[in-house]
Amino acid sequence: MITLGNYLALSGVIFSIGLIGVMTSRNVLKVLLSLELLLAASNLLFVAFSKFNGDYAGQLIVFFVILVAAAEVAIGLAIIVLMYRRLSTIQADELRTMKW
Amino acid sequence: MAPYFFYLFAAVLIFASLCVVLARNPLYNVLSLVVAIFSLSCLFVILEAYFVGMILLLVYAGAVLVFFLFVVMCLNLNTITITSEQQSRFRWLGSFVGLMFLSSFFLASKSFIKAQSMDPSSIRGTIENIGKILFTNYLLPFELTSLLLLIAIFGIVSLAQGVLDTGKDN
Repeated sequence: MITLGNYLALSGVIFSIGLIGVMTSRNVLKVLLSLELLLAASNLLFVAFSKFNGDYAGQLIVFFVILVAAAEVAIGLAIIVLMYRRLSTIQADELRTMKW
Repeated sequence: MAPYFFYLFAAVLIFASLCVVLARNPLYNVLSLVVAIFSLSCLFVILEAYFVGMILLLVYAGAVLVFFLFVVMCLNLNTITITSEQQSRFRWLGSFVGLMFLSSFFLASKSFIKAQSMDPSSIRGTIENIGKILFTNYLLPFELTSLLLLIAIFGIVSLAQGVLDTGKDN
């Protein structure tokens, strides 16, 4: 029998993997991918609580999170492309100045 | 039958997300995130959230990650990142903080599960059920997301405008 605890544990593991990815990688593209993992872990938690509480609101919030993530990825990738054109690298350490 | 499927897709999800963080080739990072999103969508189907699982497959695996792939191929990152990939100075600190987060999360969720043991309810997240609530109680946030997407389009266009202007200067 799969309980809510299984989903909590799985979501915690995925969130921690994503958190380690965000904090340890220098590649900006990899940071953005790890952010997607964080969103996926919280989405799983929302749907699991929605199922176990009998409330549809959690699934609706997942729907909105997906929409916001799509916008965020579009902007983030545009910034990465710009950064590559200016600095010809996508290592986060190379971003030293506030104004280009 | 369902427990085996849960463990199968959970194992695939954990393995794929490890690949996202650990693989050195950016192409493999993106493709393993596609696998992770696919198994997450299967977990949503096990939880009977059919609509959200379908949207996740269509929007995430279909659109967002293909966009990632497009950028990786467009920038031709493979040669650059593999040769100059050095790990961050904060690698051990970051891993330590992540593992501390994991252990504290487990402690917190353990006490939570003890407090209330819930049984799964009988709700089914079909398109009909989700749509009814989306267009009645949650109509205002749904309309506001269109505003958000419009602002995102403005942002991208203004960023691309900067690229065009610098291209003219050169």
